[in-house]
Amino acid sequence: MDKYYRLNKPECREFIAGLASKYKVVAPVKKGEKNYVFSEISSPDEIASGYIPTIIPPKKYFFPKRETLIEYDIRAQRQKAVMEYEKLIIFGVRTCDLAGIQCLNMVFSERPRDVNYLIRKNKLIIIGMECWDYCDEHAICGLMDNHQPKGGYDLFFSDMGDFHLIHVNTLVGEEIINSVGVFSPADEKDLEKLEKFRERKRKAFKTSMGVSHQQLKDIFADAEDAKVWEDLGERCLSCGNCTTVCPTCYCFDVIDEINLDFKTGERFRIWDSCQNEDFAKVAGGESFREERKGRQMHRYMRKFKYPLKKYSRYFCTGCGRCSRACMADIRIKETIQEVIKEKGLSNEKAGIS
Amino acid sequence: MKKVKVAFFDFSCCEGCQLQVANIGDLLLDILEKIELVEFREVMSERGGDYDVAVVEGSITTEHDVKRIKGIREKAKVLIAYGSCACTGGVNGMKNNFDLEDVKKYVYRDKSDWFNTVPTMAVDQVVKVDYYVNGCPVYPPEFVRVLKCALRGMPYKVPDYAVCVECKFNENECMYDKGVTCLGPITRAGCNSWCTNNGNICYGCRGMVSNPNKNGQKEVLKKYNIPLDWIVNKFNMYNKAKESQQV
Repeated sequence: MDKYYRLNKPECREFIAGLASKYKVVAPVKKGEKNYVFSEISSPDEIASGYIPTIIPPKKYFFPKRETLIEYDIRAQRQKAVMEYEKLIIFGVRTCDLAGIQCLNMVFSERPRDVNYLIRKNKLIIIGMECWDYCDEHAICGLMDNHQPKGGYDLFFSDMGDFHLIHVNTLVGEEIINSVGVFSPADEKDLEKLEKFRERKRKAFKTSMGVSHQQLKDIFADAEDAKVWEDLGERCLSCGNCTTVCPTCYCFDVIDEINLDFKTGERFRIWDSCQNEDFAKVAGGESFREERKGRQMHRYMRKFKYPLKKYSRYFCTGCGRCSRACMADIRIKETIQEVIKEKGLSNEKAGIS
Repeated sequence: MKKVKVAFFDFSCCEGCQLQVANIGDLLLDILEKIELVEFREVMSERGGDYDVAVVEGSITTEHDVKRIKGIREKAKVLIAYGSCACTGGVNGMKNNFDLEDVKKYVYRDKSDWFNTVPTMAVDQVVKVDYYVNGCPVYPPEFVRVLKCALRGMPYKVPDYAVCVECKFNENECMYDKGVTCLGPITRAGCNSWCTNNGNICYGCRGMVSNPNKNGQKEVLKKYNIPLDWIVNKFNMYNKAKESQQV
């Protein structure tokens, strides 16, 4: 049976302080007026309350923006694989971001496996945090069915008012509970209360998009020729904000850089974006996605069409980051609405799903 | 390996970019293992002799400059345009906003006849440039990268994406969200969003991306209620000499 513990609110501070004294802990902290970032904390006071999704999702710990892969020595014809990792507790991961990590796990587990990612992933401890309502108008986690916890964490916190209810999902999670002695086992009544909260939550996360989770894939099935891409192409500045902040965008470039001795050097990878001018450029200067409309279409298809075939799931988590970060106000909700308008939501289509 | 002879030259500029070389720190010792400095006014008094690589700071603003840069180009195997003034014309380009006679009189008063002046030009508007190190001042890690490429005969490609990419990597709060106009969305990256990391806006000192979405940018300005000429003026501060690229 699933294991649950309770943690009274006053002792939560003690728990975080205890964690921070033993491990490196990162959590959402406030940045500027209305932004949040995952950042190292040393005291519970630094954690932001009521945070919306951070600028960059926790993918930055699993798949750093710049990561050394190989160190080489040309003269000696030697190369050495490099693994950069550290043990880290990521506290306060929302269900949308848990879903994002699950997507990346699938991608990087495919053969040939990405050893750097997989080794690092094993050193990361994830403590999730439940949402009871939409964080703002951009979130579509309800539509993407990522508002409820579906694993992918070691511990999961649900705020029950005067206490937290904690679901233990892994042995590592259990060890943390045991090592910081401020928890008490949850009883029947606590679990009943959780069920009641979750019932209320189902209503709070009703979508008003006029399309169901299943129907989404049907409207995107043949959306390549939709006119909405032209509109997005005219507005998009190619600043790459949408892909940088997306929890499931994982494209990277690999670059060799030699040291000044001109003998030794390193090969590193760095985040790249399908929105960038040079992304689809090949030798001779030809670009396969010269126009912005094609790049935007590609981005959406990589969330709502292509991954369904390959991974049997959407790669949009519903976090809403792309809408928040877009300079040109390209909103994922509006784009979906436009695609529905053009492609229609006939009963026939609904039937296919 | 024989050391490559490198000479630094300056035209119209503040020489601040050359000062950045002196600020590189420990890496400078490694650089000096590879190169022999034959001319560098900012840090040494010796000068003259042959050189393989010419690092040129400053923009071309007089007829004398035109002759001199052509001479340098003839002698150098490799020419590196160094800093905004050399790469885009830089702040000196603001001269091109005015009538040249007026400019001369404003600066030299009754002695204005003693001087000639031509519209400000970036180095590549006069001679062929092999490598570009953009920025005001240059970003030292990028200069080291370019120098390594130049010494090994490898190409260096200035990133052709917006400063926003790097700014987002660094998780800065967007300047537009703070109600401040920033040139990040149309300016070439490569500086690791140096200015915005430190709370300043992007001034567009690295020049514009090759394919900016002009209409899209105008829409964004409308959304934030920013008049177009604010952006044009800001952009002209560094890029007036390359007018054809204007918003």
